[in-house]
Amino acid sequence: MSQRRLAFFLLAPALLLVAFTTIYPLIVSLWTSFHDYNLTRSLNMGPWIGVENYTEAFKYDPDFWKVMLVTATFVILDVGLTMLVALGLAVLLLRQGFGKTFLRTILILPFAMSPALIGISWRFMLNPDFGGFARTIGAILPFMRDVDYFANPYLAMGALVSSDVWHWSPYFCFMLMGGLASIPPETQEAARIDGASAWRVFRDVTLPQLKPVLVVAIILKSVFALKVFDAIVTMTSGGPGRETTTLGYFAYQIGFRDYQFGYAAALAYILTAIMFVLSLSYMRVAFRNAP
Amino acid sequence: MANISFRGVTKRWGAFVGVHELHLEVADQEFLVLLGPSGCGKTTTMRMVAGLEDPSEGEIWIGEDVVNDMSPRERDVAMVFQNYGLYPHMTVRDNIGYPLKVRGTPKAEAKAMIQAAAEKVELVPFLDRKPAALSGGQRQRVALARSLVRTPRVFLMDEPLSNLDAKLRVTMRAELKHLHHELRVTTIYVTHDQMEAMTLATRVAVMNKGIIQQLDAPEVIYNDPANLFVAGFIGSPSMNLVEGRLENGGFHAGLIAVPGVGGGNRENIVLGIRPEDVTVGAPGSGQFDMEVYTVELTGESILVTARAGKTQLTAHADRHFRCEIGERVGMSFDVARTYLFDAKSEERIRL
Repeated sequence: MSQRRLAFFLLAPALLLVAFTTIYPLIVSLWTSFHDYNLTRSLNMGPWIGVENYTEAFKYDPDFWKVMLVTATFVILDVGLTMLVALGLAVLLLRQGFGKTFLRTILILPFAMSPALIGISWRFMLNPDFGGFARTIGAILPFMRDVDYFANPYLAMGALVSSDVWHWSPYFCFMLMGGLASIPPETQEAARIDGASAWRVFRDVTLPQLKPVLVVAIILKSVFALKVFDAIVTMTSGGPGRETTTLGYFAYQIGFRDYQFGYAAALAYILTAIMFVLSLSYMRVAFRNAP
Repeated sequence: MANISFRGVTKRWGAFVGVHELHLEVADQEFLVLLGPSGCGKTTTMRMVAGLEDPSEGEIWIGEDVVNDMSPRERDVAMVFQNYGLYPHMTVRDNIGYPLKVRGTPKAEAKAMIQAAAEKVELVPFLDRKPAALSGGQRQRVALARSLVRTPRVFLMDEPLSNLDAKLRVTMRAELKHLHHELRVTTIYVTHDQMEAMTLATRVAVMNKGIIQQLDAPEVIYNDPANLFVAGFIGSPSMNLVEGRLENGGFHAGLIAVPGVGGGNRENIVLGIRPEDVTVGAPGSGQFDMEVYTVELTGESILVTARAGKTQLTAHADRHFRCEIGERVGMSFDVARTYLFDAKSEERIRL
């Protein structure tokens, strides 16, 4: 057997597995999205209806645009805040000497926790009757006492974003720390001697050199934010109303609560298309210098 | 323009002492070279002037100011880094202009200053390139232009030529010397290359283990070393250092004996003599015979390394001199040009 054939033979089980778990469902759901398929009416897939499921979303379903707006809000807030917190932590942790290993170790804890557990914990902690967060906030800001965080659209979104920022900041902090560490220190020292203040050194010299890593982090986090699911299920269930229903959760509800499989498949494909574009740009940035 | 003064400056990291109680006066317009092996504290000394390291003890003065508590930007110094420290995301023009930009120099004025600096180092055709598109020598010149675009009180140069190839290094060395002559800015220059030190310096400070071993004009450092370290460090090939004893008006070490070295009877002596002060000839013609260990032709001369017992010597022979490895040769010292050191204290013994 030639080297090539052997390699293919050895790869085959993995390829089959990927084909079965990824490619097959992708094809089936694409096929489904072009059909009228409603489980409440029939167990069998209905007739081919072309792009009607897609036009339904874009033209007729008022919830769809609400959900798109929620998704955009969530992604922008989540990505922006995660990057800000991660970058801040990275800058602080990179220099600090004492207790470095200890701090870096406990920093990774949120990332090591199960997302569902994070969601449930946050919901409990924000419970106005017995939640630690809610009680603390209430003690500092009296007007926040007895507020139901998950009944208020802004607070629910805030809670959702906060928990996700808390969950993901450590991961991106480490990523940005790696980027910061690879910046030649002479460039920052040269800038200090050239007369730049600490802030200008950061803005003019550090940040531009961190840009490639930062761009990769932003694209990656955007993909993660778009497919957020566990946090919504465990914290807000998309509510109040549709105020925290993102596209992924919406597709899930349409499919597995309302049993409109055709429409759900179309929604899932819209999400896939957005993520595909982001992933492509990620590949272009991340592998730009690869041979 | 300013003088620089170190008053009892010490730099410690935990138990490690990088620079030990340094007292040093650098005169206005002087070109002072800090020379020493890696880890001797020369770069630390320079970085303390720049404000990139804080001294643990002592004061550093630039002109009339104690600069210990000043940030680098307040010190008005310029520095050229070993790896240049160019801003990779900026064009050559923006690199050179950065010190002006952060200082808020008006645009038109800055433009003229950038042009002048670029002309001085012949970078005008490359102003719109990024550093990545430049050769090592060109990057070096960008770093230089960035440091001289404004006129700082002090120039600091940290091994600026060490990343260049040998030929370019010689050219840039000459350029630096000319620039200093033209600008007359007080300069501290760090290097481990004694050739750079000898050619560029007004004075050389030879450092080892955080302490200045000798501070003098280059020719004094070469001709009149203060101790064993300086004697061994300066000169290429380095000075022959032979351990032995003084007895009956001569120097004895193993199988070799050199008559006419005074100083009474003394043990634990190191005798130093530069290769150019050792003569090689036919066996029996010199003060003692040795066996040739290796012969190196440098073009301008021949380096003969020979051994007798455990003693090894290198001599500069005339370029027409010929000998084979294993052959016996006669060696003589120019006794007037020998140096004696105490083997224990490593200090020079002056007769």
